[in-house]
Amino acid sequence: MSLILTVPWMAWSILLPLGGAVATFLSRRYASRLTLLFGMATAVCVGALGWQLALKGPQRHHIGGWQVPVGIDLYADGLAVLMLAVTALVGLLISFYATAYFPKAGQEETGDQNVASSVYFWPLWLFLWGALNALFLSADLFNIYVTLELLGLSAVALSGLSGKAEALSAAMRYLFVSMIGSLSYLLGVALLYNMYGVLDLGLLASEVRPGPTSQAALALITVGLALKTALFPFHFWLPPAHANAPAPVSALLSALVVKASFYLLLRLWLGVFPTVINTTAVDLLGFLGALAIIWGSIQAFRQRRLKLLVAYSTVAQLGYLFLVFPLVLRGGDFTAWGGSAYLAVSHAFAKASIFLASGIIMHVAGHDRIDELAGIGQRLPVTMFALALAGVSLLGLPPSGGFIAKWMLLNAALITGQWWLVAVIILGGLLAAGYVFRMLAHSFTPATWISFEQPVARRMEWSAFALAAVAIALGLVAEPPLTLLQSSTSFAGPGLREMIP
Amino acid sequence: MIEFAMDITLVISLLWLAWLLLAAQDMFKAIILFIIFGLFMALVWARLNAPDVALAEAAIGSGLSGALLLASLRRSGESGAGNEQRAGGLEPGSGITPGSATLNITHRLLTVLIIGLAGTLVWAAWVMPPQHSGLTEQVTARMQRSGVSNPVTAVLLNFRGYDTLLEIGVLLLALICVRSLGALPQFLTLRPPGMVLMAFTRLLVPFMVLVAGYLLWAGAHAPGGAFQGGAVLAAAGVLLLLADIGLLQSCPERLLRALAALGFTVFLLVASMMLQASGQILNYTPARAGAWILLIESAALISIALILVLLFSGGRFEKGRVPAQERDPVQ
Amino acid sequence: MSNAHLYMLGGVCLFTLGTYALLTKTQLLRKILAANVMGSGVFLVLIAGAYRSPSGLPDPVPHAMVLTGIVVAISMTALALVLLGRMVPGSRKGDKE
Repeated sequence: MSLILTVPWMAWSILLPLGGAVATFLSRRYASRLTLLFGMATAVCVGALGWQLALKGPQRHHIGGWQVPVGIDLYADGLAVLMLAVTALVGLLISFYATAYFPKAGQEETGDQNVASSVYFWPLWLFLWGALNALFLSADLFNIYVTLELLGLSAVALSGLSGKAEALSAAMRYLFVSMIGSLSYLLGVALLYNMYGVLDLGLLASEVRPGPTSQAALALITVGLALKTALFPFHFWLPPAHANAPAPVSALLSALVVKASFYLLLRLWLGVFPTVINTTAVDLLGFLGALAIIWGSIQAFRQRRLKLLVAYSTVAQLGYLFLVFPLVLRGGDFTAWGGSAYLAVSHAFAKASIFLASGIIMHVAGHDRIDELAGIGQRLPVTMFALALAGVSLLGLPPSGGFIAKWMLLNAALITGQWWLVAVIILGGLLAAGYVFRMLAHSFTPATWISFEQPVARRMEWSAFALAAVAIALGLVAEPPLTLLQSSTSFAGPGLREMIP
Repeated sequence: MIEFAMDITLVISLLWLAWLLLAAQDMFKAIILFIIFGLFMALVWARLNAPDVALAEAAIGSGLSGALLLASLRRSGESGAGNEQRAGGLEPGSGITPGSATLNITHRLLTVLIIGLAGTLVWAAWVMPPQHSGLTEQVTARMQRSGVSNPVTAVLLNFRGYDTLLEIGVLLLALICVRSLGALPQFLTLRPPGMVLMAFTRLLVPFMVLVAGYLLWAGAHAPGGAFQGGAVLAAAGVLLLLADIGLLQSCPERLLRALAALGFTVFLLVASMMLQASGQILNYTPARAGAWILLIESAALISIALILVLLFSGGRFEKGRVPAQERDPVQ
Repeated sequence: MSNAHLYMLGGVCLFTLGTYALLTKTQLLRKILAANVMGSGVFLVLIAGAYRSPSGLPDPVPHAMVLTGIVVAISMTALALVLLGRMVPGSRKGDKE
């Protein structure tokens, strides 16, 4: 018991995946097994951190024993731990899938890109994991920049891993977006530091005042992070990057990577800058989110390739997350930001499942052209069931995590009397029904003359299914994660309350 | 007054150089201008009392970046396809034929946005307080316990050592990223290296190794440290490659990987040890801090240098290279 | 206007110039140069801010931040250049579609 209370679990949950990244870089033969090993150890640390949080409340870790403002702090509250837990669970299941997806790596390098991708997937993914954990726990503006760069580099390389021409050009575009995003963020940090002389989020929150510098800095930071989150109209890079990557990578990018920059926006807007934001900016973000829902859904419906459809659906689902800003500013309580965070969580599971299932379909059929997938449902019943379950969560039908989240958002929109948001949420649901139906319909069409002979590893199918099952379970047992979320103290600061009319 | 005139000249030269290098038709010329721009930046850093940054900028920002860019230009062919790439542009309108109405509107909108950005930023910088000590006093007050006497090294390796830990990770990650993309054709030297370059390299490399060692040691109390030393050592490595001295190529692959990961591994291990012992990442005891920092920096120096050279040569050192005359410039 | 302000203004101008070039230029190599110019602009804002210290000793924290930034910049540049090299038609070796 005392072990749970005293061990600095949050620090270990950052160091372990990074150590795993080095280990998998050095030892190629055992790379996949090492990933599972380090992954499970990380998951244990995250679990213990959650327990620590339940017993002692939000935790701070002073790195190097220095206190702020000179040192860097890590900070874990309910939201951070929930994101860590999602990363660990989704990450472990994707790793498990990937052990069958990527061919076994040899010792020596050849020019074959398939071998290269199976060698380098593991260290890149563990670096990505470490970067995500470091980002979720960081309480320092500049440290967040470094974690964003770690995240961006590994995500770009992962998206170009297949070595195909479209993937490389999508990766290049992603890299430029990532660069502009980070530099814009960093200039915002520079302006803030020059003005206030602090980098710690807590100290900044108490010192920041409205004014041209703060507003310019917040605008730069927001644009930078919105680019990385692919908020409409900055979404153009996402579909090619997510659709052309290997299936486990698509799942990681859509489920986790885009959520990281949104997480920062949520923290910064609601936790640090509530005194700086104004209604115009908040409405603009909400409006762009609404456009993303509509545009992303329509584009998803129009796609001919399954993975592109799924990628555009990510654009639409990310749009929902941005509705949080007008909802919270106009008096939405926990239902507003909790709903948004819960949507990010359930979308992570559902979308990871869908991308993994698409990977299986591509593997078996050799392509992902939707119109030519008739009969695949008979060949892959488990995968299809996973796809259907994840689709339910994406649609927001009960009993799923997506339902709880959208219900909370809808409630917040009703309470705050923002009817246009109510309309957008309902319209988004209807449009989602269209593309989810399109995703499933052809696959369930029985066909007798096409046979898909390619064998598929069972663990790939079951990983996809497990993810979908969690997305549904989030609707059945919503109490614990929502309680965890509610212990995020940084959102209940005095600054925020003053903003509420 | 004279000082202010000099500052204005420096800033205007910087902006002018940036404009020239971004507008130059010839890509080779643009890269040369970029290197000169980097040297001017180093001058500015020296002027603003940032000698550590000046050293790093001259070695990494200008020197090694320039070498990387020139090598890449040569790979893509002096005036070949790489020079006129259009695909993969950032802006969504990059596929639109020039002169079309949509492009013009996009372009105008962009220009307006950029002018707005410039105005906002100038305003934001203008209202900045003229004097601000930032964290100077807090850092000075804790220097005694940092284990070093150069404040920049103290921030980099002690107070904010965690940033640097992650940053060494970024460098290792960059190497993994570059390698994950597969092999690139290598033709660093189109002609066999001349006698002069060979002799020059043999003379210069030992000297550069000494300088790197000095910079590492000096970092504790004067400008310098692992990054600056590593960059100088990397420059020596690049010279070895250019002069076709096969020293680096003879290093076995496993050893190469181990050395590239050495800095990050040592840093991580020290961080974990401290976490286990004291409950905090990188919590050195003040008495031993200097020694720990030197250990981390020495390991980091080797990895930084090796990774930078590897990045220059496309992630790998090619073994058994064909004689330069027989190589086809565009494989 | 103080010297520090002058350099800060120079920094934001470099950032804007780099952004404009990155968005409008079509050659990828030039976009990479533009991103580096943007980065230099940000670094200039930081170091100029550090120069304002009334004690005469500059603030070491931004210096450390810029050193980190320079290393990150070269990592990004290296990755971008290798991606560029792989995208040029016919430059790929041992490639398998």
